[in-house]
Amino acid sequence: MWTIIKNEGNFLRRNKILLLLSLGFVLILITSLLMGNKQVQQQSLSYETAKEHIRGQWESIKEMNPHSAAHYGTYVFKPSNLLSSLDEGVNSVTGNVLRVEGHVQNEIVHSEASQMEVVSKFGKLKSALLLQYIVPLLLIFLAFHTVSSEKQSGRLKLLILQGAKPFSLVIAKTMAVWLYGIALLVLVIIVYAILNLESITGEIVTRTFLFFLSYATYYFILTGLAVFFSVRWQNATVALTSMLGIWILWTIFIPNIMMSSVEKWHPLPSRAEFKAAMTEDRSKGIDGHNPSDERGKELKEKVLKKYKVDSISQLPINFDGIRMQADEDYGNIVWDKHFGNLRDVQAQQKASFQLGGILNPFISLQNTSKGFAGNDNLHHQEFLLQVEKYRRVLIKQLNDEHAYGGSKSGDWGWKADNTFFKSIADFKYQPIALKTVFSGYLIDVMLLLLWALFILFLLYRGAKKIQVV
Amino acid sequence: MITIQNVSKSFRGNLAVKNLNLEIAKGEILGLLGANGAGKSTTINMLLGFLKPDTGSITVKGIDASNKSDEARQLIGYIPENVNLYPYLTGIENLNYFCQLGGLSYSKSELTDMLTKCGLESEAHHKKVSDFSKGMRQKVGIAIAYAKKAEVYLLDEPASGLDPLASNELSELLKKLANEGAAILMASHDLFRVREVCHKIGILKKGSLVKELLTEEVTANELEQLYLDFMKN
Repeated sequence: MWTIIKNEGNFLRRNKILLLLSLGFVLILITSLLMGNKQVQQQSLSYETAKEHIRGQWESIKEMNPHSAAHYGTYVFKPSNLLSSLDEGVNSVTGNVLRVEGHVQNEIVHSEASQMEVVSKFGKLKSALLLQYIVPLLLIFLAFHTVSSEKQSGRLKLLILQGAKPFSLVIAKTMAVWLYGIALLVLVIIVYAILNLESITGEIVTRTFLFFLSYATYYFILTGLAVFFSVRWQNATVALTSMLGIWILWTIFIPNIMMSSVEKWHPLPSRAEFKAAMTEDRSKGIDGHNPSDERGKELKEKVLKKYKVDSISQLPINFDGIRMQADEDYGNIVWDKHFGNLRDVQAQQKASFQLGGILNPFISLQNTSKGFAGNDNLHHQEFLLQVEKYRRVLIKQLNDEHAYGGSKSGDWGWKADNTFFKSIADFKYQPIALKTVFSGYLIDVMLLLLWALFILFLLYRGAKKIQVV
Repeated sequence: MITIQNVSKSFRGNLAVKNLNLEIAKGEILGLLGANGAGKSTTINMLLGFLKPDTGSITVKGIDASNKSDEARQLIGYIPENVNLYPYLTGIENLNYFCQLGGLSYSKSELTDMLTKCGLESEAHHKKVSDFSKGMRQKVGIAIAYAKKAEVYLLDEPASGLDPLASNELSELLKKLANEGAAILMASHDLFRVREVCHKIGILKKGSLVKELLTEEVTANELEQLYLDFMKN
């Protein structure tokens, strides 16, 4: 089998057009990687600068009323991932800046796409675009005639007569084209590693390895299928047309059909419906700024009873801070309920979409690619959750300071000092454990492997039924 | 060496070979004459084990070519009308590649010797096959079979499209192989070449062997007349 692979390698090496094409493609691939890497580095730099600036602003508050500080708020930035230069996933559309303040949970803003002058269907020239769409096309063009050309030229008879086994021949042809794809993939990863040598950690190595395995498996599936068509049909044009049809189905139609179907199977509320439902539920809670609010009165009675006094003015603490925290707590319950539902629906959508990999391994590849690169919705949602947790801790600290820091109820002019503001920890994003990411994409990995086995079976069947004459 | 007994083969009800009986001994060359569709290629494909006969048996050195095709193929060298080699490889690289497929490993000098023995000029050994003429490719094809130490050679229209010189070289080469003990079956339209090279001649018409004779029994002109008579009737 190795002899046949080596011979196919000779064909690839000695074909000047292919060599030129490969060289051009490698240049584009490296350029895209360099551009992506530069963008990631710039984003990281901007992220660090903005983060330091905002933290500096916070720490330079000399004295301020804690509740005013809650309204003043702060900003949290989504850190850019080192693997973004390989696959930026959902990052270009999700945004990366979030304002953290009291009473409200803001939405993340400033997506890359929202700031682009020209929007392309395929996005910017990124490595993932080339690895997911262009490399497979190259592999199809290399594989579609591998066996049919042997049949048409009559060489197949000679090969078999000389002792080549049809299955070995078919597998060797697949492997040869597949190795060409692997070489491009390895080149991307080597360039990526060289560019980021200083920042590479054990986790990045593991993630990159899983990223590599996903692409390697997908390339095998695609190449194997093209070779199968080449075995099955005498005519190379039919094999190419079939394979291109499948490529279009896999990369354009099925993912879009799946997305639309998944949205229908597990519908998300519209933005207006969602906001209205949140507002309605929120209105049933305590109004932190309205002392005559009914539920606020109940809380007041409870606190007065606890401190065994008759009026707010007799309280040793600032009741306004307690009322505002109670308002926050209720708001958090409402947020958890609505966003929890939203996340449940999103999880159902993700699970259904992942099952699309049964029909289309490209779906599994896209999922694992952005998942292992750490730029999928799972990572994005985790970031939003961590920000919300931070917001709650921050606002509670501010409300507690307002309540128990030494002021009295109604004393809105009271101010906490700089030491207090400095003592509040900055937001620190904790990346998701790789184990969690892997379990989230286990089904995609399994489906890719099952597809690879299915392709092996097809090649075996094809080789058994190969028509020599 | 080659025994074909009562072999018939049909495709979708059309009889391609009908009750064929042939025997080719060691060192013997049999020329199979016939028009297009007479069953020559079908017979060769059955000998190669790529087609199974509907009835009858085919053996190569006693090995059943249908049921033990892998074993039988080890003894067979096949030279089609157009020897399509890998155009991006040189003559010697093509020979080496096809030898390696059969698990044979030869040194460079051995490969060169074989190409030379099969008539390929030494300056062509390291040229890419894309620059080869049909005759040169055929010589490499014969070298592939020779390197395999084939005991049986099957040639399908080998002289078609060759210039007289190349055709003559081919005839000499086949005679040499037969002298070394090979059994050769040559399917052809070329009566004169067959008359010149073969020991025995068979005429196939619509799948049936209508005449089998020794070459020495007829002159070239008589053979032509005989052939034309069979084809007309």
